[in-house]
Amino acid sequence: MTTAGMPLRSVVTLTIIGLLAAVILAGMNHVTGERIEHKQQTRALAAIAEMLPADSYDNELLDDRIEVDIDGFDRPARVYRARLSGEPVAMVVDLTTPRGYSGDIRLLVAVDVAGTVMGVQVLEHRETPGLGDRIEPRRTDWLKQFVGRSLADPEPEGWAPDRRGGEFDTLTSATITVAAIVEAVKRALQAVELNESEPFTHKASTDTLSQ
Amino acid sequence: MSVSTPEIWRNGLWDNNPGLVQLLGLCPLLAVSNTTVNGLGLGLATMAVLVISSAAVSLLRSALRPEIRIPAFVLVIATTVTVVDLSLQAWLHDLSRVLGIFVPLIVTNCTILARAEAFASRQPLAAAVHDGLAQGAGFAAVLIILGAGRELVGHGTILADLDLLLGDRFAGFSVQVLPFDSGLLIALLPPGAFIGLGLMVAVRQYLVQRPQEHPRIAQNQKEPVS
Repeated sequence: MTTAGMPLRSVVTLTIIGLLAAVILAGMNHVTGERIEHKQQTRALAAIAEMLPADSYDNELLDDRIEVDIDGFDRPARVYRARLSGEPVAMVVDLTTPRGYSGDIRLLVAVDVAGTVMGVQVLEHRETPGLGDRIEPRRTDWLKQFVGRSLADPEPEGWAPDRRGGEFDTLTSATITVAAIVEAVKRALQAVELNESEPFTHKASTDTLSQ
Repeated sequence: MSVSTPEIWRNGLWDNNPGLVQLLGLCPLLAVSNTTVNGLGLGLATMAVLVISSAAVSLLRSALRPEIRIPAFVLVIATTVTVVDLSLQAWLHDLSRVLGIFVPLIVTNCTILARAEAFASRQPLAAAVHDGLAQGAGFAAVLIILGAGRELVGHGTILADLDLLLGDRFAGFSVQVLPFDSGLLIALLPPGAFIGLGLMVAVRQYLVQRPQEHPRIAQNQKEPVS
């Protein structure tokens, strides 16, 4: 065996293993990719259906969206527009607040055309089990208090937990979690208000073009 | 060096348990063991990775020169973890959301590299697969017992959220063992994980050392173990 032969053989071996790994991963991605995407969509739609009855809109909700930057939030919010026979009926805002007690909390906020909250869903969070996770609908009704609220109800200074002088119930020992969600819902309403007329009309015109 | 199958299993489950004796893979072990179902899910995922990677390493062992064995092991393990992660996302989507980052992080679980290096790279396929199963089962057992203990003290339940693992048929299967809704919160928080694991290690040490109170055996065991 030559001294040059040893490293060469090692290089070839590693390369073959690397190629094998790449082939396996590509195959796996091919097999599971569609299914994973489908699952994620189903989950998002199931969460939306909790707030918007499926027969209240007839467009492809997940395709009809814009992105809105929110000050201080790392990720832009996605605003989905629900419409019935082309007429706007509601918007669903998918936004992630970085201000949770243990990092990001991802929410869906449904808002009707009058700017009133139709419902709030928590998609992802890592809040403390037993304290912050009481925001989940299966544990408490806490999220329900947002239904029917708008930017005028309460006034801007009332958009805070009652422990901090606002108008929203606080979950004991979870003030930070609660404050993060109250703020995020308010931001969602503001995002909708700012973009209400523009995206709806914009989409309406492309609809006409495609018909 | 050949090892008998019963010996492999005794090593994995008790004598050389990855969680209680080698104290390897503690990051996922401590972080995900807050409920029985989470422990079971991560335990099974880790076991699957261990079995597949041990088998692959054993099959490759004759082709690997010593100087490239570690990069090759890492490649094999990373591939295996990704395959398991994608499978979980596709077929057990809800559970993979709960286990979250800890499935990709199985790749950093030292148990797996340790088994590849110390066992699978020197043993035939069958022994390597047995070792993966045994070490995985040992790790999973610690996760499940710790998860069950923390869930019991923290929530008073066992097997809550079983539907995440086994589908909707098992929704509401949770058993309320203790009659309270929110128990000792500390059990669910990180300190509870450390205390729980500490107790488990202590119990194991007690059981191991008890028969050695016989003076002659006790003297023989004075030798440091590793």
